[in-house]
Formats: sequence, structure tokens, C-alpha cells
Amino acid sequence: MNKKVLFGLLIIILFLVPYIFSEYWLLILSEILIMGLFAISFNLLFGYSGLLSFGHAGFFGLGAYTAALLIQHNITSIAIIILAGIIITAIISLIIGFLSVKHDEIYFAMITLAFGMMLFTIAHNWTSLTGGSDGLPLMTMPVIKIAGKKFSFFNPSVIYYFTLIITTISTFILYRIVNSHFGLILTGMRENKERLIFSGANIRNIRLFAFVVSAIFSGIAGIIFCFFSSMATPESMHWSFSAKPVIMSVLGGAEVFLGPLFGSIVFYVLEQIIRQFTDNWMIFLGIFLIPIVIFFPKGIVGTFLKVFSKEKGGNHE
Amino acid sequence: MLLFLISAGLSTVFGVMGILNFAHGSFYMIGAYLCMEIMHIVPNFWLGLIFAPIGVAILGIIVEKTLLNKIYNRDVTFQLLLTFAILLILDDAVRLIWGAGYHIVDPPKILSGVFHVFSNTYPVYRVFIIVMGPVVGIGLWAFFHYTKYGKIFRAAAMDREMAEGIGLNVPAIFTAVFALGTYLAGVGGALAAPFQSVAPSMGEKIIIESFIVVVVGGLGSFPGAFVGALMLGLLESFGTELIGEIQMALPYMLLALILLFKPTGLFGEK
Amino acid sequence: MKKKILLILLGVLLTIGLINVNIYASKRPVKIGFIYILSGPFATYGQFAKKGALMAIDEINKSGGILGHPVKAYFEDSTAKPAVALRAIRKLVLQKKVDILIGLDSSGVAKSVVGTIEQLKTPLIITHAATPDVTGKQCNRYTFRISVNLSQNVKAAAILASKMKAKKWTTIGPAYAFGFQSWEYFQKYLKQLKPDAEFFPKDKVAFPPFKTTDFSPYITKVMNSHPDGVLISLWGGNLVNFIRQAKDMGFFNGKYQVLITLGAAIEVLSALGDKMPEGLWVGTRYWFLANNSKVNKKFVKDYYKRYHNYPSYNAHGAYSAVYVYKKAAEKVKSLNKEKIVKALEGLSIELPVGKIYIRPQDHQAVTDATWGKTKFTKKYPFAILDPIKVFPGKEVTRPVTLTGCNLK
Repeated sequence: MNKKVLFGLLIIILFLVPYIFSEYWLLILSEILIMGLFAISFNLLFGYSGLLSFGHAGFFGLGAYTAALLIQHNITSIAIIILAGIIITAIISLIIGFLSVKHDEIYFAMITLAFGMMLFTIAHNWTSLTGGSDGLPLMTMPVIKIAGKKFSFFNPSVIYYFTLIITTISTFILYRIVNSHFGLILTGMRENKERLIFSGANIRNIRLFAFVVSAIFSGIAGIIFCFFSSMATPESMHWSFSAKPVIMSVLGGAEVFLGPLFGSIVFYVLEQIIRQFTDNWMIFLGIFLIPIVIFFPKGIVGTFLKVFSKEKGGNHE
Repeated sequence: MLLFLISAGLSTVFGVMGILNFAHGSFYMIGAYLCMEIMHIVPNFWLGLIFAPIGVAILGIIVEKTLLNKIYNRDVTFQLLLTFAILLILDDAVRLIWGAGYHIVDPPKILSGVFHVFSNTYPVYRVFIIVMGPVVGIGLWAFFHYTKYGKIFRAAAMDREMAEGIGLNVPAIFTAVFALGTYLAGVGGALAAPFQSVAPSMGEKIIIESFIVVVVGGLGSFPGAFVGALMLGLLESFGTELIGEIQMALPYMLLALILLFKPTGLFGEK
Repeated sequence: MKKKILLILLGVLLTIGLINVNIYASKRPVKIGFIYILSGPFATYGQFAKKGALMAIDEINKSGGILGHPVKAYFEDSTAKPAVALRAIRKLVLQKKVDILIGLDSSGVAKSVVGTIEQLKTPLIITHAATPDVTGKQCNRYTFRISVNLSQNVKAAAILASKMKAKKWTTIGPAYAFGFQSWEYFQKYLKQLKPDAEFFPKDKVAFPPFKTTDFSPYITKVMNSHPDGVLISLWGGNLVNFIRQAKDMGFFNGKYQVLITLGAAIEVLSALGDKMPEGLWVGTRYWFLANNSKVNKKFVKDYYKRYHNYPSYNAHGAYSAVYVYKKAAEKVKSLNKEKIVKALEGLSIELPVGKIYIRPQDHQAVTDATWGKTKFTKKYPFAILDPIKVFPGKEVTRPVTLTGCNLK
């Protein structure tokens, strides 16, 4: 079967999902997609550039708060909201990125942690702008009008379709970036930095570009999240939230483009299954993570692909 | 000063083993819980202070031998991830065993109450902690610089291969250092118990502060951890007086400043 | 190899679909979804609420259930975070398909989820969260509250304050809706009753963030500002830490009048034990010794027999809400959510706290507010209230026209 046909089939099934699944699972699937997009964007830095950012939730939250503030002020055009989100995350990530990308490894992680938590503190304490620790609850959500019918964002199906469309488009754009010339340079940078410097590439600018792109799409995931939960809260900027895309990328496979999406699926499905039995599901997540980190560092999908390519003896990309 | 104890442990582990232990805060928390448990059986805080950290160190040894020694040669990222997974397990295990609520531990009679200095009141217990900090710090420093074992640890830290070359049992050293690090965290926890409520969120809160102290002071440096902890403590007390709202961000701003201008920390060498 | 990934994705989707199978029983149980804080520094509130709820459900099931249906309870942890609470509510309504929601400790959470409650068209009976807005400017058809809200509790505090000599007032409260609004309403009410009262400005009052564990800088700040009276709206774990630390620093040495709006929570009093200072005016939503009615005496006795502890106001709140629901269901002989909403409006019922009446215009219960002065006795291991002052509901509940809500 042709790759494109399979892909198309997948998209069609995803569109038919609301007819198969309960409203509850629509919301879970939406959450999987949102976090999947967040993780894939994060992975642009992590898996492809080798930089672990511990403050990425700051950008996610920036997107969410931008959307929430605009909606509170009665700006309901989705295009404007997304545009505003992109601009704001781009500007802030340029500043933070500029200061951060000089550093390597653990220092990069620490400095992004610092900036991420600064954003969190602003959200948590600047009560007059951000609602403080209560966040910004949205009493009314924008209404989409298509072909004369009104769709409310409190309806799980509407949330799901909105999420699906935006995440699919974003993922596609990210895919093109990763497979472009630029993407190859990024991977090169991860594998062998010195060589790249010798061949004349400006490491800092490349990293900065990756940082900003990654931040923008994280922000878009945040915007969708605001629509999903009709609120923006400081927790979405906290470092513990930043840990989620890291876990998902590692679980799924940081070297495969869709790996983090898999990680997101595994994360949420695991949560739903385990929480039927106990509330303490984090302990199982930890137990699950450990063998993956130690024995399967390429993640579930990464390892799977490695095994398969060995068998077939050919290349995989 | 509590922060100093915990950060000292974190810094030592990093200095010798190169591992930044995300779960360090969880060991601290377990120290507090163990102290509480011991006090339920025998209502004596001093016993808790002595035995709880030993329990934590034993847990640390188990963790090190089963999990950590598999990733010594890996990327920092994987170490962070593994220790994060350990954090998840330990934090939730605490919730499972002791429940999700908080508990109160009483300080020993000698140390409760207040005394007055220049019309300011200070709780005695706090002063006790402030005194313990430098005491432990000096003890550790002396250990590392003057005793045979201390020097062995430092040798292994500086150059692992050389150390192995001259016959030092590096894996055993690593285990011992990790045990020491977690022991310190346990002491911090036991000391903290009478002072704050014992709750499952204790670990999360302290780990980030410890990270900041360790990075600000310099990864692997004791005096650094001391100064860093001091700075952080001062920032927090004075911050509230002056600029209430950004007070929470001050530690992070300090971290960012150091990373931007002197990434190896105030006392660090690389 | 991309194909393999896609096939896997498809497989995963199908698996999710299969997990999603539902099995329905015949005489279906009535499902009540409870959302309280079950972890963290405020966990005792949720745990006590759970105890109250389970006792009520047990009693009801033993006497035939609600309209013949057995009652089943689901408990979810809000963790005091709005996003988590939202997820919990969606799970309860969409997955567990509960008939009614009861709960909410945090005003911050309550403010954030009422919009979703309305969209999910499931009634919610609030038993703790006190922001007046959810039965005020943000009121909606499906949100009800049977407990004393902040405007009622603070009005009582203002009445007490107006009789005190203290003129200059300040406050220490948690930095979120509940803390800010307690101070806002206190100023408003006290000014009306005592025009010469003065209130300290923003830079002198103390609003420590919710997560604070060390209150000493705030205690120092307030002590150094030399007020006559302090309104304290800290609660739960925060209040416990605060009182321990403040006591050590000499805060309660009698230099100022202290009003602690939620100081009479058993969760707090038993955690503090003998460290609670005596002679402080403390408020609550229910005090087990305040009402001599048969209903209350039986409730306290049964609760003590079952749990070896006295019912806190949160336990009382959850217990009462279940009975309120039962009465509403019996009034319209149905479990249909819309009919329950209509039945709750205008409902009167006698609870252990006393008689309450749920106003149809804002869905807020007119209920008494209780304050008292802390005192130790031989009988109880924690401080009790003596004297007790009960403020009748009608005296402290503001008229509907002032709430910003009119559902009728």
C-alpha cells in the first residue's frame, strides 16, 4: 500500500472518530493530540537538535493565556487568536532563545528552566493581568459559524474537530521543516557538531531558529488547549508540565518524527487504564519509564523501527 | 540552611559521579516521613534525626545499585530522565504508603519556643537549623579534604579512568558517594519535619531550589552550595519585604543571571 | 517503514475503541459525583467531606435508596487546580455518567468550572467554595450552593467587628479569589456598620501565595504595621502553618483583635491541638455544638460512632448535600436533571446546621453563619467555641438584587 493512501485513510478515520467514540474519549483524544503537538514541537529541539529545554511549558502557557485574554476581550476570530499567539511566542522565544542557545546540555536545560519558571511566576502572581493562581476562566467561548449552523466550543465534538484540524496542519508544517534542508542541518548538529562548524554553519543561529519554531508550535498547542478547557491556568507553565513532552518524546522515540505523538498516546492510554484501578498512576508511569530509559533509549517506536530495519536489512528514514 | 544540606548532597553526587539527581528532593521527603514514623514508635526526635537518614541512605544504595549504575556512561539527558522516573515512583509511593494528606511533627521540647534578640523574635528551632548547616558543612569539607576516603572520592571525581587505573574500586566509591548524598538529603528531611508540615509535595518544592543553589554555587562545590543557599534564603526573606509579587521569581532570576554571566557557578571550575 | 507506523496508529485507535465498551445494569443506581481536594495541604477537607458523604449514602441505602434506586458514589480529586477539576468533572459526567455533582472546596476552581457545568447540563451542589460570584455575577441554572458563602460569613465578621473597639483593620489572606474577596466584602460591610473604621492600603496588607509554607515575612509585615484588628482568611494547611508560626512570634499576645473566618474548621483545630490560641474569634460553616436540634444531635452522635471524630463543616456539607438531593428527587419523583434543577429551586430542608432555604433567584441557600471564641475544655481534645454566636441567615444573606444574579 502506498504511504499516502495509508495516511489518507488514517485522516479519514480520525474524522469519523466522533461517530464511534463516546464524548469522554473525544476529549481524551483531543488531549492526546494537543500534547502530541506540544511534544513533537518540543522534540524539534530535543530529538533533532539535541537540546533539552525544561521551560517549554512557558511557551505553551503563553499561547493559552494569549488566547484566553483575547477571548475575554471579545476577540473571537480564531485566525487573529492564532496569529497573535504566533507573534507573541515568536518574540518571547527569540529573546529567551537568544540568551539560551549559547549554552550546551545541562546549562541549556537549567537556563530554559529558569526562564520557564519566570514566565510561570508572572502568570501566577500578576493577578490583575493573568488572574493569578486561579487563572483565566472563560465564561463564553467563541462560536464558529459554518454554513449557517453555530458550533459551540463547549461541545466535545467541536473541540475534537478543531483540535484535529489544527494539529494536523501544524504537524504537517513541522514535518516539512524537519525534512527540509534545515532539518538535515539540525540532525547533523546533533550527531556531530564540530564537523558542522567546520563546514561553515552558524550553530547559534540554527539553534535559535529551531528554538523559535519549536516555541511557536508549542504556543499553538497552548492555544488549542485554551479552547479545549475554556481556561488558561499557570500550571500549564510550570516545570512539571514541561516534563510531559520530555516523557512523551522518550517514550515514543525522540529520533522518529511521530515518536512523541506515540508517546502521548501511550501516556494517556496508560493513565486511563491504570486510573480505573488506582489514583496513584504516576508510580506506574515511573516504573514503565525506567526500562525504556535504560534498555530502549530510542523509545517504543524508535526501537521497533530499529528492529524492523535490521530484519529487512534496508534503510529506514 | 536546610537548603544547604540538601544542595550539598546534590552537589557532591554531581561532583563525584556527574549525575544530577532529580529525585534528590524525594529522598529528602522520605527522610522527613521516616523521621515522622520513627517518632510514632518512639516519641524522640533525636532518634528520628539519627535513624531516618540512615534509612534514606539504604534506599539510596538500593537505587544506585539497581538503576543508576546502568547509565553512568550516558548522556546527561538520560540521567535526568531516569532520576525523574525515580522521582515519580518515590513520590507516588509516599502517597500510597502515607496517604495524600499532610502530617505534623513536633520539635523536641528543648528546641521549641522562641527567644528574643533586639526586639525581634526567633523560633529556637530555626536557629538550631541555622547552626546545623555550617556544622555539617564544615564536617563534610573536612572529610573531603583531610581524610583518606575523602581524597579517594575527590580523585574518582576528577578522573574516573585514572582512578580505576590506580586500583580504586570506582563502582563502590560511586555507591558510597550516592549513599552520602542521600544521607544528607535525609538529614535535611528529618530536620525539616518539625518545621514544615510533612506532605507528599515536599520533594518537588525543594528540588528546584536545590538545583538553583547548586548551579549558582557551582556544580560540585561545597562553599558554592553554602553561598548559594545563603543567597537564596536571603532573597526569599528580603524579597517578600520589598517586592512581594515578583518574590517567587527571584531565585529563577538569580539562576538566569549566573548562567548568563558565569555558567560554571560562583565557585565552580570546569 | 512509515507504513508500519501508520498501521500501528490505526491499531491503537481500534484498541481505544474496544476499551470504550460500556455495560449497563438493570435497576440502575443513582450516581453522585463528588469533587473535593483529596491531596496536598488541604487534603483533610476532601477526606472529611468523603466521610460525611459516605455516611449519608449508607444511611440512605439502608432505608431504600433514592426513589428505590441504590446510591453509588464516585470521588475525584480536584487538587485545588481548575484544569484538573475540569478534567475530573468531564470524567464524572461523560464517562461515569453521574446524575448530579456535589463538591468543590476551592473558590478558584468553582469560578473556573461553572461555565462547563452549565454546558454539561448537570446540576452541581456546592458545599464549601465560598466565592459569592458563582451565585452572583456568574450564576447559572445548574449551580447551587447550600453552604455559607463568603459574603454571609464576612457579614457576620463585620457585625462582630463593629462591636469591637478596633478601628484600623488589616488582613492576611491567600492570594486568590477567596482571600481578595473576603477582604473586599469585609471592608464594604464594616464601613456600612462602623463608618469610622479604617482599612490599610494594598501595600500594607498581606496576601501570601497559596503555596506558601513559611509565613514569617508576612507575619512580621503585619505586626510591624500596628493594626487594631486583623481579618484572617487563610484556611486549611495554610492556616495551620500560620498559626503555629505566628504564635511563636507573639502574634496572638492580645495586641490586636483577630477574626479568623474559617478558624473553626475541625480540620484545622484538631491539627493544631493545644497549639491553638484561646480567646480568638473564629468562623465556620457549621459547628457541631451550635445547634441543639434533634437532627443535629443525631448526626453528631452517628458520625462520632462511625468515625470516632466530630463532624467538620466539610463533612456536614457533603452529608447535607446528599440529603438535599434526595429531597429534591422525591419532590419531583424523578432523577431527570432538568426536573432536579426545578426541584432544588425554593427547596427548604432541615439540616444539622439548621433550616435552610434555597433561593430560586440565585440558587444560594439562606443559612445561618456561626462564629465563636476558642476555648479549651476537658471533654474535647481540640479547642471548641465558647461563647457561640449564631447569625440568622436572614440577617447575613444579602438580597438578591445586590448579587448581580437573577435567574428568575
